[in-house]
Amino acid sequence: MLTMARRSPDQRPGPNSTRAEAEAPPSFLGPGVGIQGALEIDGELVISGLVRGSIAALRLVIAAGGCVEGDIVAHEVVIKGRLNGRVFAPTVSVEASAEVEGRIFHTTVSVERGARVNGRMPWRPISYFETLDKLPEIRE
Amino acid sequence: MSLFNRNDKSGETKSADAKPIESKPAEIKTGETRGATAPQPQPQTAQQAAAKTELPKFAEPPRPAPAAKPIQPPTPTPAKTGAVMASVISKALKITGELESTEDIQIDGQIEGDVRGVGVKIGQNAKVKGTVYGDEVELAGTIEGKIEAKKVIVAATARMTGDIWHQEIKVESGAYINGNLKPELGKAEPRSTSRPVASTPTLSPVSATSVTAAH
Repeated sequence: MLTMARRSPDQRPGPNSTRAEAEAPPSFLGPGVGIQGALEIDGELVISGLVRGSIAALRLVIAAGGCVEGDIVAHEVVIKGRLNGRVFAPTVSVEASAEVEGRIFHTTVSVERGARVNGRMPWRPISYFETLDKLPEIRE
Repeated sequence: MSLFNRNDKSGETKSADAKPIESKPAEIKTGETRGATAPQPQPQTAQQAAAKTELPKFAEPPRPAPAAKPIQPPTPTPAKTGAVMASVISKALKITGELESTEDIQIDGQIEGDVRGVGVKIGQNAKVKGTVYGDEVELAGTIEGKIEAKKVIVAATARMTGDIWHQEIKVESGAYINGNLKPELGKAEPRSTSRPVASTPTLSPVSATSVTAAH
């Protein structure tokens, strides 16, 4: 994980300085926000609204009440809301209030008691995510 | 003493002697926490344990019960976030697609696509390619496209390429606007609404016309 975190700035666009600035104010999409399209963020993103489309982030939180329909590539994903799609992240935590339909590609995953997960959770080595800059186009 | 003894005897059926009782209550209080003495707490814990084991059995199989949980968490999160901030699209975020919002939104990142909001603030470093719809739009960043809003505020740092349809506009000197300003948003409405509100923006349109004329 450490190697992953160190390599992340090199893989992601933008030097360390911008990344540090970006992480200071996390993006927040409130419950009244709906987005259709691709999101790309070099930092943290918290979603309480509805997003239809692909998301690339360093850290993504789907808050309770939030809903994502699409694929996610991130270093860390915390799911408290609804997700319909695929997740590609070395660290994934599915909280009790989560509803997940799809696949969670992970290296370490935690699923809290009460979470509703419908789908597979294939394990992948860290190296798989290190080479993962974009969303895999092939459905597995 | 007699009163105390009677109360103690009535309270505790098993204890017979009066003198030890005075010392016992203290022991029982400590004992209750430790769980060593006091026969009453034990059945309670047993009942609680039974209740704990029973409840999940009812809660788990019909998954709607845990589904009720998400209804509880969302209320605190909007309360927290709503109190702290509205929706923020930070500098690091790039959106390719359409964005809709029923609440105020702050944009500091990049958006390629249309934005539909109520109150839209576009920060200094923000870039939007597309049309921004809203009731009130504050522009301090860059837009390549169009603004359609009842009230438009264009700050000095703004760089607007495209038309602005509005009912009411304020332009600070220094703003770059390359496009037409049309006070015709919702044709029938603007004349009625713009006249009463005209008191505040009358000063700014003068600068607006001068700025636009310069460019």
